[in-house]
Amino acid sequence: MDTRTTVIVAAACVFAAAAGYGLYTTQEKAPVAANELPVSGPFAGPVPAPVAEASSGVPDKAPAGVKLVDLEGKTHGFEDWQGKLLVVNFWATWCGPCLHEIPALIKIQEQYGAQGFQIVGPAVDDVEAVKAQAPKLAFNYPVLVGSSDDMLDLMTQLGNTSGALPFSVVIAPDGKILQRQLGEFSAVELAGLIEEQLAKKP
Amino acid sequence: MKMRWLVAPLAGIVFSGAAGADGLWDKKRAGEPGLLPAESAFQLVSAERTGDAVQIEWVIAPGYYLYRKRLAFESVTPAGTALGEAKLPQGANLHDEHFGNVEVYRETLRATLPLIHGKAAPQQLRVRYQGCADAGVCYPPVTRVVDVVVAAPAVKP
Repeated sequence: MDTRTTVIVAAACVFAAAAGYGLYTTQEKAPVAANELPVSGPFAGPVPAPVAEASSGVPDKAPAGVKLVDLEGKTHGFEDWQGKLLVVNFWATWCGPCLHEIPALIKIQEQYGAQGFQIVGPAVDDVEAVKAQAPKLAFNYPVLVGSSDDMLDLMTQLGNTSGALPFSVVIAPDGKILQRQLGEFSAVELAGLIEEQLAKKP
Repeated sequence: MKMRWLVAPLAGIVFSGAAGADGLWDKKRAGEPGLLPAESAFQLVSAERTGDAVQIEWVIAPGYYLYRKRLAFESVTPAGTALGEAKLPQGANLHDEHFGNVEVYRETLRATLPLIHGKAAPQQLRVRYQGCADAGVCYPPVTRVVDVVVAAPAVKP
């Protein structure tokens, strides 16, 4: 083993140990700041992004000034739902896992809607495709549309730079991002999270 | 449970050693540990003209797949040149509750685009494709413009 290899292996060990320690501390600390939260879902592990990287750029609050249009043509921003526990669920008509998840989200909206909970569904898709599909899905929450590029930009801002779907962000009534989820939510876990958060309301 | 904390650093060593800088770069780009960005999950590796057809090849990462129905090709240079219908291999069947039985490609895909006799051969193609990961996420459709390389004639010994 020459000197260069030794250095590389040593660096790898330091990196691995740091990553392992990062995982350990992230899992043990509770609660953690939203900007240190690893994305949950099937991609939650095993090695979390270093905290320094996660906190650079990924906001811990819902971005202000975002303009999203619903299917009736009305413009919304995240401010519209301030005071509610909000789930922003990005989906698309070409995304099978998204279509699978939506009926569960509809049930959750039905169950908790009267208690200050709201789901919104920005579509990373062509407006026409969304308009054609929306009646079949029978949404009971607002579907938001925009150019795919704008939606991808918004997802990037919220911490999903891969553009993969479904992607959800849970936002507290005060605008603080509580959780980011890549892949479908477990309906049971989501209901648990909602109940826990709604119980905190004064 | 404690075992996981031991395994994670060891896996890190193997990963760092074997995958090197490229692997780490992918992770950073994806923003989510363990999820590849679309350009790494579905690598369009070549577009090569041999005789009267263009072969387009992908390398698909394990655990990812492309949909047959979501492949599209058009000529960019010269613009609007008609191309023959793409010849695609038999894919694997996948049943999707929303899309029914669909054909998907895993590992590698080679599409053959026959050139139409008398039309100029395309020098640049616009290729569109879309796929998902088995872990339960899908990627937005990718559109790429690729240069068509003319294959060198076989060298005779």
